[in-house]
Amino acid sequence: MCLTLFLVVSISFVVIRLMPGSVYENPELSTAVLEALDSKMHLNEPILTQYYYYLRGIFVDGDWGVSVAIEPSVPVFKILMRRIPISLTINLASLLIAIPIGIAMGTVAALRKNKPSDHIISFLVVIFISLPSFVFASLLQYFMAYKLGWAPIIYQPSVSFLEKISSLMLPVLALTLWPVATVARYLRGELIETVNSDFMLLARTKGLTQGEATVHHAFRNSCLPIVHIIIPMFANILGGSLVIEQIFAIPGVGGIMIDAISSYDHALTIAVVIFYTAISLLTIFVMDILYGVIDPRVRMGAKK
Amino acid sequence: MNERPILPAEDTLDKESFVFVGESWSPGAEFNAKPVGFFRDALARLCRNVPSVIAFFVIVLVVFLALFAPGFNAYGFNEQNTDRVNMPPRVQGLENLGILNGSRVLTNRRTEYFGDTEKYPEGAILSYDNIRTIRGVEIADVTVNYYVFLGADDEYYWMGTDYLGRDLFTRLFVGARVSLLIAVLSVLINAVIGVVYGAVAGYYGGKVDMIMMRITEVLGSVPNIAVVTMFILFFGTGILSVILALVVQGWIHAARLTRAQFYRLKVREYVLAARTLGTGDRALIFRHILPNAIGPLITTAMIAIPGAIFAESFLAYIGLGIKAPLASIGVLLAEAQKNLMSLPYQTFFPAALISLLMIAFNMFANGLRDAFDPSQRGKD
Repeated sequence: MCLTLFLVVSISFVVIRLMPGSVYENPELSTAVLEALDSKMHLNEPILTQYYYYLRGIFVDGDWGVSVAIEPSVPVFKILMRRIPISLTINLASLLIAIPIGIAMGTVAALRKNKPSDHIISFLVVIFISLPSFVFASLLQYFMAYKLGWAPIIYQPSVSFLEKISSLMLPVLALTLWPVATVARYLRGELIETVNSDFMLLARTKGLTQGEATVHHAFRNSCLPIVHIIIPMFANILGGSLVIEQIFAIPGVGGIMIDAISSYDHALTIAVVIFYTAISLLTIFVMDILYGVIDPRVRMGAKK
Repeated sequence: MNERPILPAEDTLDKESFVFVGESWSPGAEFNAKPVGFFRDALARLCRNVPSVIAFFVIVLVVFLALFAPGFNAYGFNEQNTDRVNMPPRVQGLENLGILNGSRVLTNRRTEYFGDTEKYPEGAILSYDNIRTIRGVEIADVTVNYYVFLGADDEYYWMGTDYLGRDLFTRLFVGARVSLLIAVLSVLINAVIGVVYGAVAGYYGGKVDMIMMRITEVLGSVPNIAVVTMFILFFGTGILSVILALVVQGWIHAARLTRAQFYRLKVREYVLAARTLGTGDRALIFRHILPNAIGPLITTAMIAIPGAIFAESFLAYIGLGIKAPLASIGVLLAEAQKNLMSLPYQTFFPAALISLLMIAFNMFANGLRDAFDPSQRGKD
């Protein structure tokens, strides 16, 4: 995990530094100023030396560099610290809303397999999975925010808590669609398999109703694979929120990544890439640990 | 009990109608119909699946439109006309029904000019409302037939024009062409790399397998968004680099799937039989094992196509898509997003097309999966 993180950091550093274009390519700056900047930022040295300075900055001083274009001379770390919570809020919120809905839909579909309700849910699932989140976001923004005026069109900072919630409502809704469909689809498949297994027959034989047997026996067994998909889903939604943040003008991490790239704000770009990498590696890590907690078989296997 | 005799009395039966079996009829003679192969069987199942068939025809229709629709009218996809900027859509025939009639709301116009045929040619004003007086001037929101308003009564832009006066109908289907091209090519490349990689890893197993799978694990744990972004930054935007960016990590899934299939199939008896007859490794992999593993692979590839279309639009949205003159559906959406409130039609058509395309591909892929693997039927 650390190795991967290191590799990504190194590669992204080199790639981004080697990229054409720089904020310093400004005809108004004199050669003397450029030279001074070069030596201050170690830009005139070999790339490996630059990388050494960069890593030393992070580990020794906690210095991630300074933004040069987006918010000039503000430390990158500060910018990220301000923006990460917003992104995390909408992502976690959409996940928290999506999981119960998805589980409910999946369960209903599995228990009423091949009946009208199952067909409706399956059809919805295909629609939800197919409909790109940004298309849905645009629809929401146009109809719910603009035509009906139920929610603010874009994110509104520094207002009361209630208004903040209402302005985050639509982006969260837009992000919810895909996880709902994924969870529902997966749970349906899993439950159908478990419901037909032998231990369910035994549970029915000993006198449980279909409902009791499903909740107590089948459901628990199906939850395991669900965890397996929910956690990586988080990293996925985080990627998806890039566009949603842009559409709703949310000052999150997603928007700044694009801005940083296009304005050659290299230190910021690298920091954001590291953030995404760290999140996705973290989710893999958490999943490995949770596996042991949820599934006793994995724990037993490890002890042997 | 007074039962009816089951058999008719002996004397009513005709002796000649009884013939020895072995003389003229041999068992199995009726089974000389052609054996139904795997693919024919799958095709038959696919054809019975109504949503998939509909989805298939939708895909064919969109592909047809993408290929030929840009030639349906006289406008080029990059033909700019600064006199015809942001025209609303207008279609012959439909305009009489009150939809797509080239109407557009102009806000905050002075009412005193409404009678002025210099500013508003005859028939231009359809309706106006929201009359209010601000600083002594009476203004209103007026709905005009924008074509008449601009003195272009005989022109028709079926989906309107964009901010440079380019015909959106042509651009949309040129964009669909680009999107489909990117999706199909990237999925195809992914499939080829993945199948060969996975086949080698799965077939040889052991150390080779372990090393090859470790490589995919390291590559796969890098977040997709970071890889794609850096890749495009490095190679610049364009069709080729978008395709390649989608390939960097895309083949891993196909490789894993192929490997699993090969692990399952390589111990089968027919493989052993072929090996005993002296068949070489390459023939075993491609002639004997691969055809039997192809079903799930095709299904996965089909499922990957809408994913690739989505990924391409996504990249376009964050500004890493196709270069300027050319369009893709994602580029059109991203451009339209900027004035969603005032010109919703610019968003509507590309959004509808991409949604339709993705739903169709997903439905078709589902049908394909059911067809290739009947045991998975109805398992979503």
